[in-house]
Amino acid sequence: MLLVQILVNGVLLGGLYGLMGLGMALVWGVLNVVNLAHGALIMLGGYLTYYLFTGLGIDPFVALPIAALGMFVIGYCLQRFILNLIVRSAMLNTLLITFGLSVVITYLAQLLFSADFRTINPTYSGANFAVAGITIPVVSLAAFVIAFVLAGAVWWLLNEMTIGRAIRATAQNLTAARLYGVDPRNIYALTFGIGAALAGVAGGLFGILTHLTPYVGATLTAKSFVIAIIGGLSNPFKVILGGIVIGVAEQLASLYLGPTYIDVISFGLLVVVLVVRPARSLRAA
Amino acid sequence: MIRLAIILVGAAILACLPFFTGAVFMQFAINALILAVLTQSWNIIGGFTGYVSFGNSTFYGLGIYGTAVAMVKFSLPFAVGLGCGAVLAVLAALLIGIPILRLRGPYFAIATLGLAAATGALVSTIDLAGANTGLVLPLVRADTMFYELALGLLLVCTLTVLWIATSRFGAGLVAIREDEDAAATMGVNTTAYKVIALMMSAFFTAIAGGIYAYWISFIDPSSAFDPTLNVRMVIMAVFGGPGTVLGPLAGSFILSAVYEVLSSWISTAAALLFGIVIVLAVIFTPRGIADVLVGVRRHGWRYLTRNIRENRL
Repeated sequence: MLLVQILVNGVLLGGLYGLMGLGMALVWGVLNVVNLAHGALIMLGGYLTYYLFTGLGIDPFVALPIAALGMFVIGYCLQRFILNLIVRSAMLNTLLITFGLSVVITYLAQLLFSADFRTINPTYSGANFAVAGITIPVVSLAAFVIAFVLAGAVWWLLNEMTIGRAIRATAQNLTAARLYGVDPRNIYALTFGIGAALAGVAGGLFGILTHLTPYVGATLTAKSFVIAIIGGLSNPFKVILGGIVIGVAEQLASLYLGPTYIDVISFGLLVVVLVVRPARSLRAA
Repeated sequence: MIRLAIILVGAAILACLPFFTGAVFMQFAINALILAVLTQSWNIIGGFTGYVSFGNSTFYGLGIYGTAVAMVKFSLPFAVGLGCGAVLAVLAALLIGIPILRLRGPYFAIATLGLAAATGALVSTIDLAGANTGLVLPLVRADTMFYELALGLLLVCTLTVLWIATSRFGAGLVAIREDEDAAATMGVNTTAYKVIALMMSAFFTAIAGGIYAYWISFIDPSSAFDPTLNVRMVIMAVFGGPGTVLGPLAGSFILSAVYEVLSSWISTAAALLFGIVIVLAVIFTPRGIADVLVGVRRHGWRYLTRNIRENRL
């Protein structure tokens, strides 16, 4: 029974992880930028939700779309006015600049929000129900559902909408897309903005389920990266599946080995996955 | 030859400093020298070979713990302790390097990021290493000795980097950075070159860690495996000029001084500045401040926007 409970916990948590990986995978697949500031953006989204909840008294789940919109604007501006300046240079440089951005965001957050632990704590945060002896927390279930809905939204945007076609065209061939009247500067900024908005929602859910500090960014970046690799960059639902793999692996590790080994597990999985799965299958946006 | 002269004269001048300055300055100077060693060591794998390592703080931590465990638990002398730390870190670099140096670009960077997070967590579970509470080393009040030790290490490290910059081995590393497949085609044994570069980097980093451990005399997992240290190595090297001999030194000395001045007001502002520096450096001067002096003389101020003109969308 304990094992089943752990598996359910892992799957529910994995939905949220998948959502974290989704923004990373989208930006990576379209812009060919590994965004080392992704975890910091998740953290920022979490704080935005936190202050909408505690400051303005907005229910966290109502605050999520507002936080997502705020993060979209921030992401759009970051790409349009900073990252676009050097986006065509070697990946070493885009790694370094997003790394620098993560440092800036982290310490701005420390200045503005202090280093204290924060939890988004609505009245129903402890609510749960039981199905066949398995306890299911309402908030985790909601996070899981939201992750799937957003993966569906991303899939629909990329495959069914004109703007999505423009995004995919830009990812495949920037020059050709430009010849057909697509402005890549705008498309890149839009894509990064959507990635940041997804990070914002993930951050809000993360803040409800666990706790926020300005420093969670680096670990979440590494986790999102692993998930993006496991899931691949082509299909949003596969990314969610990648998140579920990591979620289950972590829960099993903390059950059998102890919670210290959670970070070790993601790292170990990363190396195993990278050795087993060749990187070339990744870019097929 | 000019670079060798600059290094030796600079070292000679710095070696005399303790006789003219006070205890407070010594504190700053030892920290700055250790950071300069870390930056210069990172330069070997990150600057010359082009593999952005966020895992060098692991080697630093292993150097610290190797030295501390040898001295505290086995009562060995300091010099032997340094050796233990260095051997530990070099072995770790060999064992970790062979699998993860197969990864390129972002894969390598993230794998080392995970490595740094994992080793700190692992060490805090080992009882021999004092687990979470840490270890207390014998207390020695000899700032001048630690200063000269750190300076000597920096000199050896810089001379090694100078050798790399002028040797066939270094040319191989640069070839790997510029195009790894081409380098392999030209007969460079890329795996061996990369692993050796990481081991050299780990060696100097670990010795710096050992000196730091004895100097500070109290260590625990969170300070030994501090990930922000990696942040500083990368930023200082990139700011100064990655893949050059003197750039990382200039970068680390300048930024250490700026950090010291700023952190006497607000420490967060200092850390924030580091982030801003790396963003600006990547946009305007990706080849470091050393290259700015040359570039501006040759091309005028248009040099600063050249990188944007070439790489903007």
